[in-house]
Amino acid sequence: MAEFKYIPQSEIFNCSVELSGAKKFYVLDGKPMGFSAKDGLIEIPSEGDLLTQVIFVRTTPHPSSYKVRILCPAGSSRAVILCAHTTGTDRYVTEESVEIAMEENSNLSLIVMQNENGASSHHSTFEISQKGSSSVSMNIITLHGGNIANRVNCNLNGKRAEAHLSGLYLAGGEQNIDTTVNMRHNSGECTSNQLFKGILGGNARTSFKGEVYVAKDSQKTEAYQANNNLLISDTARAISDPHLVIYADDVKCSHGSTVGSLADEELFYMRSRGISEPEAKLLQQQAFAGAVLEKISNIEIRERLSRLVERRLRGEDTLCTGCAKRCC
Amino acid sequence: MENLLEIKNLHAKIGEKEILKGINLTIKPGEVHAIMGRNGSGKSTLSAVLAGNQNYTVTEGSINYLGKDLLKMSPEERSWAGIFLGFQYPVEIPGVTNVNFMKTAVNEHRKQNNLPPLSAAEYLKMMREKMAYVEMDPSFSSRGVNVGFSGGEKKRNEIFQMAMLSPRLAILDETDSGLDVDALRIVANGVNRLKREDNAFVVITHYQRLLDYIVPDIVHVLYKGKIVKTAGKELAAEVEKHGYEEFEK
Repeated sequence: MAEFKYIPQSEIFNCSVELSGAKKFYVLDGKPMGFSAKDGLIEIPSEGDLLTQVIFVRTTPHPSSYKVRILCPAGSSRAVILCAHTTGTDRYVTEESVEIAMEENSNLSLIVMQNENGASSHHSTFEISQKGSSSVSMNIITLHGGNIANRVNCNLNGKRAEAHLSGLYLAGGEQNIDTTVNMRHNSGECTSNQLFKGILGGNARTSFKGEVYVAKDSQKTEAYQANNNLLISDTARAISDPHLVIYADDVKCSHGSTVGSLADEELFYMRSRGISEPEAKLLQQQAFAGAVLEKISNIEIRERLSRLVERRLRGEDTLCTGCAKRCC
Repeated sequence: MENLLEIKNLHAKIGEKEILKGINLTIKPGEVHAIMGRNGSGKSTLSAVLAGNQNYTVTEGSINYLGKDLLKMSPEERSWAGIFLGFQYPVEIPGVTNVNFMKTAVNEHRKQNNLPPLSAAEYLKMMREKMAYVEMDPSFSSRGVNVGFSGGEKKRNEIFQMAMLSPRLAILDETDSGLDVDALRIVANGVNRLKREDNAFVVITHYQRLLDYIVPDIVHVLYKGKIVKTAGKELAAEVEKHGYEEFEK
């Protein structure tokens, strides 16, 4: 990963790149713009079949703390993308809690994209509760940020609920990114998948703590968890701490965790074909990240995020194609 | 004609173990050389050193390639200068598609020659044409490099890559290992189509059978890190008939 300088934008954020079939909302320092919050709770609007894009921007250095709720009524299907950005180089401190309530047979595709300055501190907790046959697919893509902590508590409370969680964190410089996943199979016949991957350069520190808990009567559970970390520098450090706690006896569960560096033989093979060393390393990192990005089902978002990841890995501004601003 | 490659008194080791103990070899454009020898004689080490594998250390001797000191060049610089190594064990690269891999390689070669990158359509046309050389299905292009390929498919992929990069000097390290007769014929046909007056091939093999398809001009027998015998193509038949023993005295 090339050294990357996060360049924040100086004006009020206004994303100029449209996502097709999306309705856009802004939240400035925890205050929703043009839609209401009740008792300090930001309800993510639902716009029929449209993708709801909510852009959270920090503009003032005062600490900001807010609550967000995503409701998924029975039988509904919705898609949400939450983007987090900072506009200056100040040390923004953000405490965010996101409640996700999924009724029976509901379906949610949630993308969380984080791109903040290197001094920012952003702690997010996602509290997901799922009723029977509900299904959530969540991708957390962390492009940049100072001190980021993401915690996902997922409660599978009804039979045949499914949770597919994935995340990619890119950490360089002095960045610190922590991920905690607490997957609770409180009911039987549920499926959960976790794939979290990190690429670390500079003096970055990351941690992944993941627990899969299977309650005593949660038979026919399937739960998989993987955390893979790629170290690009000698001074980066990744901690991986997976746990399985299983009280039921008829389950399929597995977990795997790796911390490694780029494979030398792959590198030599590519170089022997005339691919220069930096380009070969970039291809390897993109391939590593690709396993998470390909889980994003919205093709437009997937391609956009893939380009941003490539730019980030190259140390370029993470600008969307067609955007003149430096926001994401 | 000017020599393509001149290896003089080449010594190389891996770790503390010396494997090449004084190789001398001169290759001219248009020639096909075969290097034969038992396992452990140094065949693969020689090819790895030529391609610039940093696991091997050259302790003595020189390699001159088209007037340049090859040992000072990085693996990618060697590739840009026209050297190609067909790997005995092609490497699998999960997550990097064959098309992305080769497109990047071809365009880096073009960049070195001050040519603009190929457009998607131009690349596709070239790729289809070269895949046909080795009867490779275009669906392979969207798969991860060598991932899940059979032994024969991996070797065909090597020859396809060679066709894409059009090298001046190709070293084929046991390209015949693990191939059935049909795959052997396909791979050999691919190589024969790429022969030109200005390029040369070094075919490394245990057996004569590949040399029935790719006919060498010169055959060398390698033993304990040295070339112990050099002759015409009849030497391969002699090795096949009598084994390596008589050269090892």
